[in-house]
Amino acid sequence: MTDAADAITEDLPPARRTARRDRWLGLASFAAMLGLWLALTGSGLWPPLVQPAFLPSPVTVAKTFVKLANTGYQGHTLAHHFLVSLMRFGVAFVFCVLFGVPVGLLMGMHSGVRAALDPPIETTRPIPKLALLPLFIIWFGIGELAKTIVIITALFPLISISAMQAVRSVSVRKVQAAQSLGASRATIFRRVLLPASLPGIFTGMRVSVGIGVTMLVGAEMVATSDGIAWMALTAADFVQTDVVLVGVLIMAALGYGLDQLFRALERRVVHWAGRD
Amino acid sequence: MLEPVALAAPARRASAKLVVEGLSKRFGAGRDAVAALQPIDLAIATGDFLAIVGPSGCGKSTLLNLIAGFETPTTGRALLDRRPIAGPGPERGVVFQQGALFTWMSVEENVAFGPRALGRSASEAREIAARYVELVGLGGFGRRYPYELSGGMQQRVGIARALANEPEVLLMDEPFAALDQQTRELLQEEIRAIWRRTGKTILWITHSIEEALFLATHVVVMTARPGRIKAAFACGFSREADPLIATTAPFAEAKRAIVALLRQESLEAQRQEASVSSADR
Repeated sequence: MTDAADAITEDLPPARRTARRDRWLGLASFAAMLGLWLALTGSGLWPPLVQPAFLPSPVTVAKTFVKLANTGYQGHTLAHHFLVSLMRFGVAFVFCVLFGVPVGLLMGMHSGVRAALDPPIETTRPIPKLALLPLFIIWFGIGELAKTIVIITALFPLISISAMQAVRSVSVRKVQAAQSLGASRATIFRRVLLPASLPGIFTGMRVSVGIGVTMLVGAEMVATSDGIAWMALTAADFVQTDVVLVGVLIMAALGYGLDQLFRALERRVVHWAGRD
Repeated sequence: MLEPVALAAPARRASAKLVVEGLSKRFGAGRDAVAALQPIDLAIATGDFLAIVGPSGCGKSTLLNLIAGFETPTTGRALLDRRPIAGPGPERGVVFQQGALFTWMSVEENVAFGPRALGRSASEAREIAARYVELVGLGGFGRRYPYELSGGMQQRVGIARALANEPEVLLMDEPFAALDQQTRELLQEEIRAIWRRTGKTILWITHSIEEALFLATHVVVMTARPGRIKAAFACGFSREADPLIATTAPFAEAKRAIVALLRQESLEAQRQEASVSSADR
């Protein structure tokens, strides 16, 4: 808290002022995008500058959303499409956290485990995982398993490697402090290494939320008949641009919502992160 | 006030709390090996406050790490109560310069960590922690997190955490080096008071000659890398009651003597650095 800066700004400390300004800037840029969309499509106020078949107006998209919410799409309710997608992502994500984090921590703490697991993870990382989907469908059939597995293949390396790096970058000073306070290896893991790694683990989880939502599009591209991404892809085949946009916006909202959720969790659970 | 002393003399060793015998350290192997510390001999009696000063990179922190058990010596050994030191242990409390607090724990949880690790119950550990948090002047801050505290307050937490296990020996690695002058002087007075009251044996690494003279009963001057003991003195200022002792003529004289010794070594250290960086090019 700098006294000089406080004296200049009468009512608010500078950090809060900046935060408030940034929030307004964020909203303004969002409003500008919406304004541009409205202007291009006319929205009933003037003739559209772009063919509605290419870019329907926000009003049309909103109406389509309400219609889809009431009547569903291709035999399933909108909620069903949404929940099915959420579940495909969720199962894969939870699996990766449950197994990827421990594997990553082990890799970080034992050079032997790292030597054994790092090469397969690193060498398969550049493979576009969607290219494996046809193979997975041959192996695991057209059910949920192949789709879940393709998302897992994308998220697992991300989450495990971020956990590995998190535990490896724990300051040796903190471990030494714990040792000289008489802590056993188990105590050092539970009360020092694990909590000190949490910020890095959280970062990995947040990144993989974004990637995971993106992977849904690929996973729902073939051999399926429900899901938000499938809805958007199918609608595109019929040039139902408004439905495509509804699907895209729902996925954007899903990704954004999950990211916000994780940010909020992060602030609560690892409020001390980066403040050494 | 400053008298040369043979720190490893047989008479001192016989009754010493902490003995260092021919302790040395090389890092790396083969042609890339770097000597960090030449063989060191020391004997520290119970209740001694021994300060080690030396130019940067002279291996004084390595010496502390060896005694703490964080590193294994290349030759020689360190003994506590005649038993060789084989690794870190709670009978040797360590206070680091900075960055060693458990940032995810409150002040009280940090201080309670040691007692908990040694098997005390949660409520006992909390009681002990509260007592030591109070002792270092942080009463009322027990629920705060380290990042909510100033640098000086964080060091107080580090000291309380080390004291909470009631170690026989305190190893302190430049604990005040990152603090501003005023905070440092205040904490120096407090550590002196704690030392007088508890009678702990303290090994104190510092690059501040004034700090060493103000706090210590013994001051060891080390050479440039690879470090060895250049001179050792018994020193009486820390037993004086006058908090302004550092402004007196005898203090200035003692400081002058040590500055003169260290100056040559600092110049040597600088010369080494220059030759290393020119070899790099």
